[in-house]
Amino acid sequence: MDQLVVLLPTLPLVSALLTHLLSGALGRSVSRISVAGGTASFLIAAILLGSVLSGDDVSHLAAGDSWGSLLFDPLSVLMGLLIAGISLLVRIYSVRYMAEEIGYARFFVLLDLMTAALLIMVAAGDLLTLLISWHLIGVLLYFLLGHDTRSTSAYRYGFWTFITYRFGDLPLVLAAAVLFHTFHTWSLPEIFAALAANPDTTTFYDLPVSEVVGALIAMSAFARSAQFLLHTWLPYTMDGPTPVSALMHAGIVNAGGFLINRFAPVFAHTDDVLHWVFIVGVFTAVIGSVLMLSQHDIKKSLGYSTMGQMGFMIMECGVGAFSLAIFHLIAHGLFKGTLFLSAGGIIGEARDDDGVPKDDLYTFIVERQPARNRQPWLLMAAITLTIPVLVLLLSHLLVAPNLFQKQGAIILLFFGWVTGAQLLFATYNMRSENPWRLVALIVFSFIVVVIGYTLISHAFDVFLYPDPEFGTKLYQAAGIDFSWFVILVAFASAVIVLGWLRAYYTERSQNGRWRTPGHWWRNFYALVWREFHILDIYTGLTRGVLAASARVNVWLRWG
Amino acid sequence: MTDLGLVLIGLFLPLFPFSMAFNAVLERVSHPLLRSALLLAWPQVGLWALSAHAAAIPSWLALWALATALLYAFRLLAMREMGRWSGFLATSAWAVLWLPACAGVETSQLWNFAAAFSVPLALLTLLASVLENQFGAAYTGLYGGLARRTPRFSGVLVISVLAATATPVFPAYFAMLHSVIVSQPIPAAVLTGIWLMWSWAAARLLQGLIVGPAEPSPEHDLPIVTTWGYAVGLAGLAVAGVFLTGGSL
Repeated sequence: MDQLVVLLPTLPLVSALLTHLLSGALGRSVSRISVAGGTASFLIAAILLGSVLSGDDVSHLAAGDSWGSLLFDPLSVLMGLLIAGISLLVRIYSVRYMAEEIGYARFFVLLDLMTAALLIMVAAGDLLTLLISWHLIGVLLYFLLGHDTRSTSAYRYGFWTFITYRFGDLPLVLAAAVLFHTFHTWSLPEIFAALAANPDTTTFYDLPVSEVVGALIAMSAFARSAQFLLHTWLPYTMDGPTPVSALMHAGIVNAGGFLINRFAPVFAHTDDVLHWVFIVGVFTAVIGSVLMLSQHDIKKSLGYSTMGQMGFMIMECGVGAFSLAIFHLIAHGLFKGTLFLSAGGIIGEARDDDGVPKDDLYTFIVERQPARNRQPWLLMAAITLTIPVLVLLLSHLLVAPNLFQKQGAIILLFFGWVTGAQLLFATYNMRSENPWRLVALIVFSFIVVVIGYTLISHAFDVFLYPDPEFGTKLYQAAGIDFSWFVILVAFASAVIVLGWLRAYYTERSQNGRWRTPGHWWRNFYALVWREFHILDIYTGLTRGVLAASARVNVWLRWG
Repeated sequence: MTDLGLVLIGLFLPLFPFSMAFNAVLERVSHPLLRSALLLAWPQVGLWALSAHAAAIPSWLALWALATALLYAFRLLAMREMGRWSGFLATSAWAVLWLPACAGVETSQLWNFAAAFSVPLALLTLLASVLENQFGAAYTGLYGGLARRTPRFSGVLVISVLAATATPVFPAYFAMLHSVIVSQPIPAAVLTGIWLMWSWAAARLLQGLIVGPAEPSPEHDLPIVTTWGYAVGLAGLAVAGVFLTGGSL
């Protein structure tokens, strides 16, 4: 099994080398090497996952004395399978999609190298290997996004990604330096064991090492997963080839969630860091969703959708639901990858026939026709508020009876409740011949989704963090004072319930009539549409720095 | 050796304003091989002189060196001429060597670190001369489109720039990492900032040279044998990075 662990990242490296060397002789069919390598990697990853599921022990394979080691544990094999799978799909898709592009072989070489870097990152057993792969991913992504070397805009936006990723590398370097300085080893298992044995270990300036390292790791994860203020690269990198967008949105951007999970043994001993992670995640989820709704450009909208999802994933880590974040990143990776890879085909087909059935959903969403006769608003509001919370509570109690001891789980239930209620609220406006049938169908599908989600996330929890004590520690690290928690939950519940009631009442009283938005609302919309002017600020700052640099050079006579 | 003697070493292991001497000399040397030799030899002279200094290096000197490295990294951002670009990056990188020196890292290791920074810059100097011969100037943002025009040359250029700006797994990466690890938290944070500016400057340099529409021009591209020579050299550099500077971590 150890040989397979080593072979998994080695195969894409060999494939990259062969693709480069044989591209002249084989021409376009050189892509078969890459696809074959990708298929073999995927099969190996599947075998490794099967072996972990069948109970094989975690192992640590070291090539060098101090670094160059790989971990064979549930997290690395699960992520390895995801990366190998998405990377294989992207390669198969690219065989024809990129056929008329210049630099065909170069594209596959870069894809193979990227796959190798990602596989090494998720399996890295020491800090140095992790740092190297983390850094290389940013560099390779820059060249993948700028694959069309004629396109200056592709490179300009690729540069935004590159510089944000480099910015995110730095806290990880500092975290590695602090850990090495404190524990005198690069090995992750050794560091985690030492920290578990002595959680109160301090470092420079007598600061607790878990807090310092946790904060630095979180910052690195924020940059990689496009959290607010470090997000501008994500919606603007659509000038790169579509397969790269798919790989980026489905795999690379999820690295933040992976990193936080890899350092879970550090976060388990933190006091405040996870609270900040939660705040940043929530803020990003809300801002990303608002920006997504305000954009006219569908590609930018997709980019902001990913940003919102990443915010939610980071928020899940912030409440202590680490394994749920992994489930989320896998689910998001699969559906966003599908969206990107199928986008081109759908656009082509839609030119002949949009293929959208003219049903209730179509008239409501596309034609924007609200129902003429509505159900009693109070009854609908009551259904909206109570059914989701009942479904969520019952399904969670089924798998985890001690649910209410975990604040994080309650917060996630809260989000589930809001989502379910939003779904039901939509039916209030929809034109339908049989509205109760529609409500029943929505409730049924909601139950299926919630039960599926609950069971799968529970399975992830058992698989990734089999020690229940450790899972409880993570939730405790994310918890806040209980009385404050109750106050916050009660306040948020009250705001949401009042909001829904008001929304129902307003819908009922307006009865479908359009009201011109006020001055403040229009200004807010303009602000959101301009993406809060964050890009303008960054552009101004960049120009300022470059102008200052040139001025200093002139003062010093270029010497 | 007195503190004054140490400051004089600042001519070779750059300390601003003595660092201006190196850049002035580099500008006056026009032959590419001589420029490369200068880049390889200059910091080694400084390290040789430093090895004669038995006492500990005062911490104020490390701060001075850090400020020099930061200044030249900042100035590198607006630099568009490849020859001076290499000189500024060399000045910034060699100034960093004071930090591991101050932390007591062995001189033999420092020689490796200096070479780790110098070798890719020497290669870049040779590549800049190719551009000067072809276009009259090695200037980023002036012509562009080299990736289409001369793909082999562009490939070698990209990898040399990455090697020079401390990208894994080239030796300069491990030299930078070593310098961060042996430093105190604030200098370490400044070092990472310097590293970020090198990457920024590298991206600006490359974008202005390789990106843009152009017609292929095979007759101006590097000959295959020369390309293989560069490729073997860079691969050797990467192997040295993993086993030499990387092996010391």
